[in-house]
Amino acid sequence: MKSIVLSSVVTALLVFSGCSTKEPAVDNKTEEVASPVAQEVEAVTTETVASENSTINSSTNELSMNAIESKLPTIYFDFDKYNIKPEMQEKIDTAAELGKTKAKSFSIKLEGNCDEWGSDEYNFALGLKRANAVKKALVADGIDASRISMVSYGESNPVCTEHTRECWAKNRRVNFKLLP
Amino acid sequence: MKIFFSLFILVNFLFAGDATIEVVKKADSLPSLAVEDASISYDDTFKLRFFKSLVADLNVISLFNVDRHHRLVNYDDTNVLVENKDMNYVLRYKMFEDDNRALNIEMKLFNRDEEVFSKRYRVNKKNIYMFISHAMAYDINEFMGEPSVEWMKRKVIFARIVAPKKSEIIIADYTLSYQHVIIKGGLDIFPKWANKAQNAFYYTSLDPLKPTLKYVDIKTAKVKNIISSDGMMVCSDVSEDGKSLLLTMARDGQPDIYLYNTVTKKYKRITTYSGIDVNGQFMGNNKIIFISSRLGYPNVFSKRLDTGVVEQMVYYGKSNSSCSAQGHYIVYEARESSNAFSVNTFNLHLISTKTDFIRRLTATGINEFPRFSKDGDAIIFIKNYKSQSAIGIIRLMHNKNYLFPLKSGKIQSMDW
Repeated sequence: MKSIVLSSVVTALLVFSGCSTKEPAVDNKTEEVASPVAQEVEAVTTETVASENSTINSSTNELSMNAIESKLPTIYFDFDKYNIKPEMQEKIDTAAELGKTKAKSFSIKLEGNCDEWGSDEYNFALGLKRANAVKKALVADGIDASRISMVSYGESNPVCTEHTRECWAKNRRVNFKLLP
Repeated sequence: MKIFFSLFILVNFLFAGDATIEVVKKADSLPSLAVEDASISYDDTFKLRFFKSLVADLNVISLFNVDRHHRLVNYDDTNVLVENKDMNYVLRYKMFEDDNRALNIEMKLFNRDEEVFSKRYRVNKKNIYMFISHAMAYDINEFMGEPSVEWMKRKVIFARIVAPKKSEIIIADYTLSYQHVIIKGGLDIFPKWANKAQNAFYYTSLDPLKPTLKYVDIKTAKVKNIISSDGMMVCSDVSEDGKSLLLTMARDGQPDIYLYNTVTKKYKRITTYSGIDVNGQFMGNNKIIFISSRLGYPNVFSKRLDTGVVEQMVYYGKSNSSCSAQGHYIVYEARESSNAFSVNTFNLHLISTKTDFIRRLTATGINEFPRFSKDGDAIIFIKNYKSQSAIGIIRLMHNKNYLFPLKSGKIQSMDW
């Protein structure tokens, strides 16, 4: 994942102001509005983190990591809430068990997500509180907190984009990702 | 009776010019203005496009009843068109292409057949014609001696989601009709202008292992890493002098507001509540307002930076999850229904820290991302209504809202 900075936009609207008097007068100067130049500049170097974009190479380690990751559950939440529901607690217990056995050698990344309701920053915080609730539950189940990192994607990572109640419910979730 | 009358006058004086009280200014008495097109280059489609853009800008300055008929004329005709002879003002303009293919525009303003103002403009490419139309409206507003609409010339920066975990950061004019993608390819969100001159901005990149705040100098296209935090990182506000930032960071998974000094590169935690504290906004030198879930739902609070005293600012709305501050005014977004999935309505409201009035600024649809202009004269926002999106401009002192249709996808956040 690389972000490209395309730049030198709108090098401001350079205004060479013409004489604009209230007197009726023919203006002989012209207001110059500079055009925005769009040249492509250096690419920003970023680290590749997400597992779905990384290619699966022959390394058995990575193969097993993806295999284990596919067995990890998704934890769902109620509207505007970040408490763990009882039926979700069981799923977290299963995940913690995997974390202590097969996935013992990997770090865990928790990705918090929201539905489209609520506004920008608040939604990101809500996604994060969801990830943090799952983290606390995992720690209570015996997973070392130092193995867990978190990120919130707010509403920017939907799995479903229809405007229905079912769809929104699918987006209010925390995903597990494994990192080597 | 005398005392009552004096009180009445006093109250009127106190609240004169307070934007939380609806001011319907010169509602029906606005002078009429017609626009005459005398262009000699370009096809009819482009002529009409420019005409529409100009009429929209002239409406936004809220000084005229603008006639919407597109009428053609010769630039040098001494008299205005017969259809326009009863208009108070007639604006005539001529677009022409020069040898360098640049777009040139001459305009003159008539008041009852007498030319009172004229000016010429030029841009290198015709696809940025909207900047001339904004400049023309700006100059006419100046000519009429009204308070400045400097914000018309300012740029909007926004992020839009193009696919899951993929976004673009875009710089646009205030109507978003001109759009220039400045960052693409990753998940880059929450852009925020770094200074008044709008020649640099901050944004959050979610591509590194930890969310990272970055700084981009627009002219050199150099990108600098500022600070990272596990879980979450947002630059919510930049102080007037550009030296202090209000950040939402989540050290240990706890979203709180931090004050960051761009000179010393040191930060200080401002809020410590165990729920959600986000969206910090400077309010003068010694106070911030922010969104907190400390009542069990999102609402607007203030905190003094010296004494640490926290105060609830808003007592209306069931879920107030976003705010923007300017001077002593606060605009916030309120969810009107408590039922999560009924027809959801989000409206914008304006309050002042000096009065108890609440002014509702929008009436229908989902209204988001309210942002004040730097002088507090206007508010920009996004309106979603019946599966259509528009950018809105609210002229507070004129009590008017203007909408421009939006073609871009879902906006993630915006700054003006």
